[in-house]
Amino acid sequence: MMFKKSLITLTVLLLIIISYACSSDDGVTNTDENEFERAEMLANFGNNVILPSYDRLKSKVGNLNTSINEFTANPNESTLAAAQDDLKEARLAWQSANMFQFGPAESNLLRAIFNTFPTDAAKIESNVESGDFNLNTIGNRDAAGFPALGYLLHGVGDNPAEVIAAYTDNLNAENRILYLQENITLIQTSADATYEEWSPEGGNFVANFLSEQNSGVDVGSSLGQLINAFILHYERFIRDGKIGIPAGVRSANVPRPTTTEAFYAGYSSELAVENMNAVSRLFFGNSLNGEQGIGLDDNLIALEAGGLADNIGIELNEAIASLQALNDPLADQIETNNEPVLNAFTEMQDLIVLLKADMASRLGISITFQDNDGD
Amino acid sequence: MKQFITSNTSIAPLAVFRVLFGFIMLVSTIRFALRGWIYELYVEPDFYFTFYGFDWVQPLGEYGMYALFFIVGLSALFIMLGYQYRIASVLFFLAFTYIELIDKTNYLNHYYFVSIIGFLLILVPANRSFSLDALRKPGLAVSKVPAWTINIFKLQLGLVYFFAGLAKLNGDWLLNAMPLKIWLPANSHLPVIGEWLTYPEAAYLLSWAGAFYDLTIVFFLLYKPTRIPAYATVIFFHLMTYALFQIGMFPFIMILVTLIFFSPEFHSKLIDRLKHFFSMVIRKRASDKTISYSGYEEPVYRPKKNALSIVTVILTVHFLLQLVLPFRYALYPGNLFWTEQGYRFSWRVMLMEKAGYASFTVHDTETGNEWQIPNWEYLTPNQEKMMSTQPDMILQFAHHLKRDFTKKGIQNIKVTVESYVTLNGRPSRLFIDPDVDLANQKRGFKHKQWILPYNES
Repeated sequence: MMFKKSLITLTVLLLIIISYACSSDDGVTNTDENEFERAEMLANFGNNVILPSYDRLKSKVGNLNTSINEFTANPNESTLAAAQDDLKEARLAWQSANMFQFGPAESNLLRAIFNTFPTDAAKIESNVESGDFNLNTIGNRDAAGFPALGYLLHGVGDNPAEVIAAYTDNLNAENRILYLQENITLIQTSADATYEEWSPEGGNFVANFLSEQNSGVDVGSSLGQLINAFILHYERFIRDGKIGIPAGVRSANVPRPTTTEAFYAGYSSELAVENMNAVSRLFFGNSLNGEQGIGLDDNLIALEAGGLADNIGIELNEAIASLQALNDPLADQIETNNEPVLNAFTEMQDLIVLLKADMASRLGISITFQDNDGD
Repeated sequence: MKQFITSNTSIAPLAVFRVLFGFIMLVSTIRFALRGWIYELYVEPDFYFTFYGFDWVQPLGEYGMYALFFIVGLSALFIMLGYQYRIASVLFFLAFTYIELIDKTNYLNHYYFVSIIGFLLILVPANRSFSLDALRKPGLAVSKVPAWTINIFKLQLGLVYFFAGLAKLNGDWLLNAMPLKIWLPANSHLPVIGEWLTYPEAAYLLSWAGAFYDLTIVFFLLYKPTRIPAYATVIFFHLMTYALFQIGMFPFIMILVTLIFFSPEFHSKLIDRLKHFFSMVIRKRASDKTISYSGYEEPVYRPKKNALSIVTVILTVHFLLQLVLPFRYALYPGNLFWTEQGYRFSWRVMLMEKAGYASFTVHDTETGNEWQIPNWEYLTPNQEKMMSTQPDMILQFAHHLKRDFTKKGIQNIKVTVESYVTLNGRPSRLFIDPDVDLANQKRGFKHKQWILPYNES
């Protein structure tokens, strides 16, 4: 009798569960959750945020490649200025793509190749002098990439005339030209490869990104990879790399202005602001040209964490404002008045807590494949 | 009472328990190794969060750790086969527990459970039937054992489930359906039930059902008429947790060891079937070893009087501890989920969603110099995650930073932390007093004054 009773209870329980599961969209209750779909958010990220960022990066790098070749073919003030402008454009474009260091970017070692800084001027000079170099090695990461190009186009002389001289009169002019060209070639190859792998016409990583099997929140899932990657980038490469380390937070409060991202080119603050704008766009699910889309804020709202979404938005604005208050060249700002730089670091610190603790926790994102029992 | 302790009963449930436990532990060990976790968790890190009083438990280097895991796996195999059981059971317990004591980061209630079962298996004659030991030395074989050798496992399982259920009787779990309200919607991509999991109703239903299950399942298992539907529920419950959470081998371990609640007749039949299967697979010589188990009378296990006294003391102390440990949190002020003082070793399984961010600063108080610490240069992501919500680990890391900077030649070191924690979806708030010099705070069981009080909002 007991057996029958418990069997009936179990069956009823199962039926209730199954009936809920099979209920249609007009459902039992009307929560925002019904309208939010993680798959749609991921589709927005993949198609409207990530892929266009790599596309733009590829094309800006292509322009830079062209103008560098024009410069080396005909070194003069106008070709130099054009190359410098295109370098800046490419570096700005990179700020929108640098936080997606997973999948193709990871396998192509994109961030390490593109943007290891501070660049090692002495190493570059010694490479140029020897004429024997392979830029795509671990040993040369800090002698290649955008920061190296910054040195090569801005730092080899105190004024444009001196820079041009380095590619004409100078003893190692030929080697230097070669170095410049190999540098941009390496960048171009990597940018092209990464775009190609993401593109539906190529490796179609987008399909992988949006696949059924990657639709969860475990560490290997698309959302897991994206969030872990961009938070890591924010903490180590924006907050620390661009602002904290140059401001001296890791070096006994002794500022290190030569470690700014664009030390030779002199627009590190601008790059930092642009990177934060990209972080903001990602959070809100907006595309490069500002079109609104489904983002992490919508995800949080659907989970009844709209307050958190608002707070993140506020902190993002405060962080961006504190960076906009920094003058370029950032190295000069640090040397004359480091306070605003330290202040920017503090503002960025506030944001990391909301992202790494609150948001990740609310979304149920895990950071490791390890078994856990909620401890 | 005597009936549950000293009366003699069939050894069959114990033998099956031994085989299943050895089997699932062998599988677990192989899985752990294949996933590369031996290297990732016990070789790669530069620093390990040892347990208080067990700082001497250090990893043994790459080859040492592989060897240690090999011992765990091999002894699990021997336990399963009932081969050199005495040595195997001791080795398994020591090796496994040593591994678990290396790093608090990897503490899981289910590893604690495995250690306990491994320990209890040392005390019982589980190899006296259906084993290679009994096969090689027929003099060892028995058909009956004192009831306690089986009932201690039922009691242990009962305590685990019941305390897990008790732990769920808290405001967040029952009234706010937290943390399921976070964890279930995270599974919205699952087929069929995905959408249902996003409703708050699902979180409330499963929270209450889970608490009810934990508190009552053992009683349904003990009571024969409800045993089979109860076991069906056990399977359903654990498979569901497996699908919903990253919980590893725990569901399968529980599904298998819970079979101990079944009758001796059930286990005898199971052994007969398995023996039949093996005799088909491994052609045995026709002898009395293929005779149906239930028909063959063998002697009764009689432990020596001295041994029995020692075992009695050990088991009494063990179960007293099992009853008392989960309540030790009451000796500390403050909110248990927040301070975590007395949280571990109490079967608080999958109970809260807690995340944090800890930013350390090392100060040279003489020169005024300060260094911001990049945690990732010292800890793995997993270690950092676990450390950021557990005060004892925050303290240990602060001490480690002091040691590290002392080596670099810095003196007059002070270590502070700006630490924020979010608990069950609440907005993150300051966790540790940001002005306290953690480098000078002592580890230990005393209440940690520097944990900031928790306010409910």
